[in-house]
Amino acid sequence: MTSNPALVDSPTIEVDDVSKWFGQKVAVSNVTCSFGPGVTGLLGPNGAGKTTTLRMLTGLIRPSQGAIRVLGVWPRTKPSVYASIGLVPEEAAVYPAMTAREYVQYAATLSGVSDARAATDRAIDTADLDDAADRKLAGYSKGMRQRAKVAAALVGDPEILLLDEPLNGTDPVQRLHLINLFRRLGDEGRTIVVSSHILDEIERMSDRVIAIVDGRLAAAGDVAAIRSAMTDIPYRVRIETDRGRLLAARLLEESLVHGVSVDDGTLYVETDDLADLGGRVPAVAHEVDARITAFQPEDASLESVFRYLVRKR
Amino acid sequence: MKPLRAITTATIRQVLDLRRAIIFGLAATAPALVFLLTTQALVDEAALDRFLGMVVGLYFPLLVPIVALVISASALGDERRDGTLSFLVLRPIRRTAISGSKFLGALIVAAGLNTIGSAALGIVYAVETGSWDVVLPLVLGGIVASIVYVALFVPLGFFTDRAVLIGLAFVFIFENGVVSALSGLSSLSPWRIGMSMFSGLASEEVSLQLTDIGIANLSALGSTLFRTVVIAALSIAAITLVLRRRDLA
Repeated sequence: MTSNPALVDSPTIEVDDVSKWFGQKVAVSNVTCSFGPGVTGLLGPNGAGKTTTLRMLTGLIRPSQGAIRVLGVWPRTKPSVYASIGLVPEEAAVYPAMTAREYVQYAATLSGVSDARAATDRAIDTADLDDAADRKLAGYSKGMRQRAKVAAALVGDPEILLLDEPLNGTDPVQRLHLINLFRRLGDEGRTIVVSSHILDEIERMSDRVIAIVDGRLAAAGDVAAIRSAMTDIPYRVRIETDRGRLLAARLLEESLVHGVSVDDGTLYVETDDLADLGGRVPAVAHEVDARITAFQPEDASLESVFRYLVRKR
Repeated sequence: MKPLRAITTATIRQVLDLRRAIIFGLAATAPALVFLLTTQALVDEAALDRFLGMVVGLYFPLLVPIVALVISASALGDERRDGTLSFLVLRPIRRTAISGSKFLGALIVAAGLNTIGSAALGIVYAVETGSWDVVLPLVLGGIVASIVYVALFVPLGFFTDRAVLIGLAFVFIFENGVVSALSGLSSLSPWRIGMSMFSGLASEEVSLQLTDIGIANLSALGSTLFRTVVIAALSIAAITLVLRRRDLA
C-alpha cells in the first residue's frame, strides 16, 4: 500500500512529474499523482490548471515534461484506448444542429458500440434526457447540454470518465441527479475524475480529492484526512455588529483571537477555538456596548481547506 | 466504415445548413442564368465565345473557389472553434479516418454545389446550341478544381479563424491577379487545374478557343489528374499529422 496520498494502489491513470507550459506561462508544474476506481475530485480555483490537467489525461494536449499513462499507455499513441475513456469537456462541445439523440448516437458510432441505437437509449435514460432527446441541442439550456455531454461520454460504457466542471449550469434537481450518477458509476468500479471549483459539490461527490493550486499539487487524500492533517488551520468567523471597529479592537486583546479584519462593518475573526470564541464574544460585545446580529463560522466545508491551501502558498 | 460514414454525414450537415444551401444553390446557377439572358439569337460560334466567357470569367475563377472556400474552411475550423474537435479525436478511430472523412464531407458539398453550377451552364449551352459534348468536361473540371480547393482550404480553416479572408486574398490577389499576369505560374492555380481538366476533355475547338481568349499553359490531362490526387493526399496527410502531433485544445 502506498503512503503517498497522491497515489493509489491500483491506478488506471498515472501522472508522473508532469508539467505543461504555454510559452512563458506555466499551467501545470511537476504534478505527480494517480487515479483509480471510485470518484476523485480535482479541486482548485479557476486558472489553477485543472482543465489543462484533464486535457493532458485525455491526450488532447501533450505534457511539456513528464509522462502520463492511461490504462498503461499514452492515449495519443494508441487511439484504441479511447474506447475506455469518456470526457465531458467544460466548453460547449456539442453540435447545435443535432438532436441530443443524434449527438449521443454519433458518439456511440464513433466509439465502435455494436448496437449504437440501444446504447443511445440507455445513455439518454441514464442522463435523464428522455423527454428532450429529440430536440435540437441549439435550444438546450446549459444544464441540459451538460447532461447531453454526459450521455455522450457514457454511451461507450467507458472504464474511465473525466468530467470538467460537469455541474456548471445545472439546476439543483439536475445537480443532485448527476452527483448520484457519478457516485454510482464510481461505486461500480469505474475511475471517475471530476474537476470543480464548487467545493461543497466536490465534497458530496468525491471519496478522494486532489487539490491543485497555481498548477501545483497542493494536497491529496480524502477530505477528512486533509482536514485533520491541517490541525493548524484557523477557523474564520463572520460577525455582524453595529460597532465593528470597537469590537475588533477589543477582540484583538483576546489570546484566542489570531486576527481580525473589518470589511464594510462586518468583522472576520480568526481563531483556533471556535467554541471558546462563541462563548467569549457576547461578553466582549457587552463590554463595548455592541449589538451582535450575526455570528457565522465560515469554515463548515472543504472551502476552508481550500482557502487555507491557497493562502498558505 | 461506420465511423467514416458517420463523420462524413455529420460534416455535410455541419457545412451545409439551409441558409448556405439556398444562397450557394442560387449562386451556382448564376453563370447559367447570365448566359441564358445574353445568348439568345447568337450564332453558334458567338454562343461558344459567350459560354467560354462564363466558364473562364465567372464559373472557374469566382464561383468554384468561393463555394469551396466557405464550405471547406468550416469543415474542421468549426470543430476547433466550437470545441467539438475533442468529441471527434477522443474516439477509438484512426486519425486518417477523421481527416479523410472531414475532407470527403467538405468535398461532397463543395463539388456538389459546383456541379449544380457547371451542369446548369453546360445544359443551357447545349440546349441553345445542340452541343452536349461540353457538359461532362465542364462538370469534371469543376469537380477537379473543387478537390484542389478543398485540399487547400480544409487545413487552412483548421489553422486560422481568418481562413475565408486569407482564401479570398489567395483567389483574388494571387490566382486572379499574379497568375493571370504571369501565365508560367498557372500550375499553382487550382481553378486553372480544373480548367486543364475541362480543356483536356472538351473538343479541340473549345481548346483552341480557350487559347484565343488567353487561357494558355494548361497541363495535360494525365498530369492534371496526378497533381490533383497528390494534392488531395498531401492535404489529408497534413491534417492527419496535425491531429496526431499538435495540441488540440
